[in-house]
Amino acid sequence: MDAIIQILVSGLTLGAMYALGAVGLALTFGTMRMFNMAHGVFMTIGAYAAFSTVNYSGAPLIIALLMGILAGGLIGAIMHLLVVQFMLETEDFEINILVATVGVGILLQDFLLKVYGGYPFSQPVQIDGIFRIGGVAVAYQSVVILVLATVLISALAWALTRTKFGMAIRATAMNREAAMLMGVKTSRTYLQVLIIAGMLAGAAGILISSLSTLSPEMGQNPAVRAFVICVVAGLGSVTGAGIAAIALGLFEAAIQYYFGVRYGLPLMLALVVVVLIWRPSGLFGKQEVVRS
Amino acid sequence: MTSLSTIQKHLIGALIMLGAMTIVPAFVTQRYFLGEIIVFMIWASVAVQWNVLMGHAGVFSLGQMLIFAVGAYSAAMSMTYLDISPWMALPLSAVVAAAAAFIIGLACLRLGPAYVALLTFAISYMVYVLIITDTACYTTVAGGCQRFFGGTTGFSRLEDLGFRQMLRDNWVVGNYFTVLVVFTISLVASILIIHGRLGLAFRALSDSPVYAAARGLNRTRSQLIAFVVTAFFTGLTGAVYAAHFRSAGPSLFDFSTLLFILAMVIVGGLRSTWGPVFGAAMMMILVEIAKGLGDVRNTIIGIVLVLFVVLLPKGIAGMTSRLFHRLQPKRIGVRTEDPATDRT
Repeated sequence: MDAIIQILVSGLTLGAMYALGAVGLALTFGTMRMFNMAHGVFMTIGAYAAFSTVNYSGAPLIIALLMGILAGGLIGAIMHLLVVQFMLETEDFEINILVATVGVGILLQDFLLKVYGGYPFSQPVQIDGIFRIGGVAVAYQSVVILVLATVLISALAWALTRTKFGMAIRATAMNREAAMLMGVKTSRTYLQVLIIAGMLAGAAGILISSLSTLSPEMGQNPAVRAFVICVVAGLGSVTGAGIAAIALGLFEAAIQYYFGVRYGLPLMLALVVVVLIWRPSGLFGKQEVVRS
Repeated sequence: MTSLSTIQKHLIGALIMLGAMTIVPAFVTQRYFLGEIIVFMIWASVAVQWNVLMGHAGVFSLGQMLIFAVGAYSAAMSMTYLDISPWMALPLSAVVAAAAAFIIGLACLRLGPAYVALLTFAISYMVYVLIITDTACYTTVAGGCQRFFGGTTGFSRLEDLGFRQMLRDNWVVGNYFTVLVVFTISLVASILIIHGRLGLAFRALSDSPVYAAARGLNRTRSQLIAFVVTAFFTGLTGAVYAAHFRSAGPSLFDFSTLLFILAMVIVGGLRSTWGPVFGAAMMMILVEIAKGLGDVRNTIIGIVLVLFVVLLPKGIAGMTSRLFHRLQPKRIGVRTEDPATDRT
């Protein structure tokens, strides 16, 4: 029983963090057919922004958290304004944007390395202490992660289904030309999407770094997982990405519990390959082209 | 224009370039420069193969350094554990790399381009994580713990190609010619693929997928063939890398190395024949110049990647061929007979 609770707790925590990262990625691909390879670095930037806020101003944790999320959104906006908007509508967009975002990613990562150095810091934006469920120790931080991820993702779901700009995003994802004819300014929609994805990535970065440490390359590992989650869910499916994230988080926690931490990612990947051979467009691909 | 076919023209071009490279050691005697040219040939060979795969076959693989590492690691491991000579290890490693690519390709290539990119990237990352987290000692070498896949330290002090005994101080010239041979094989193979039947198939598939399929072309099968064939030469290059540096380690999986070579392909121009060679030369020179400015290698790679993709998505090759077309007298109503000439 304890083993199951342990797996559930750590699996849900992992899954919640993956979901935050993966949902933003799926939203970007769903609306603009753009795969953002810099997504992992967006996470890192959010984490460092929160770290710096606490370190240099001693602001309360909630402010630091907001600063981290804002930094993620800001960097998304900057990337759209400086790079992405010039590439929309060009030939081979899908491949070229991958290369461009890879370039942006390495630039930003190198910048962080120059500013903060390669030395790993611990994330001050976290809550200490544990409580017990049965015989299992649960960190308050895990609860914070779960709550925060749920709040942010629910907010996104609400925005996408209930607000005007959210509907514009979904309309663009469904059919760009039709959305434009209905008066949706797609270039602004794209900017909004990148800002939202950046903000979610920033939040994910803060949460992930609170469980490990801050380093310029900390975003790579969660980004690889977010990629895998989006692929297994079917690229562009936002709901699918959320569900797949939780499922894979639980799966990984179980593997880590029974086989050791080392095999978490590889076995998860093996599972994904099997899923893709069985369903090449992902679990939620094709049927759910309507990304909501 | 002339009676020579495209493929012959490219092969003659390759011969001229490689001929020029054989006399380089007569003029360049500093070991450092020869070493740099060796590195150039190694990366250029990887870039050339990557261009065949990504530019022509349309397989957007981010796992090329994994294939390269498979070649390097198989060479290192077969030398360390099986005690075979480096010369035997080269072809063996190429075959192992091709086999690895076959398995990865079977799993990935039925998917769309973005999926292929992500999965190949994820698989290389997974292999990297498995290698560096390995802590169990397999044997002991020179008093140290040798992990089966080398762990975080990798393999070092491998047997050399034998030129240190044969040529004494000039051993690097021996290595130079070994790498040159591998580069030649890789370049000629790429020309034969791009302008041969397989390249024609890819052109047909990219021009009109439906019509090509209707004429009996199987996209997945052609891509799998391209993936395996390019992996053979990429793996061979990886093995010669291990033989030249006498080491192979997890630094091969460094993201920045992958991007360095990706920058060569992009700068040179996807879908060209010669682009990656020029791109490789340009990136090597750029990074060499930048060494004086401090640790800015990654910054430069990032800036170059973004600038080229945004401003010159067809790379240097695309730019020069456009210039070339503009300089030629206009022939009204005459289309270029061979679409391949557009892709010089």
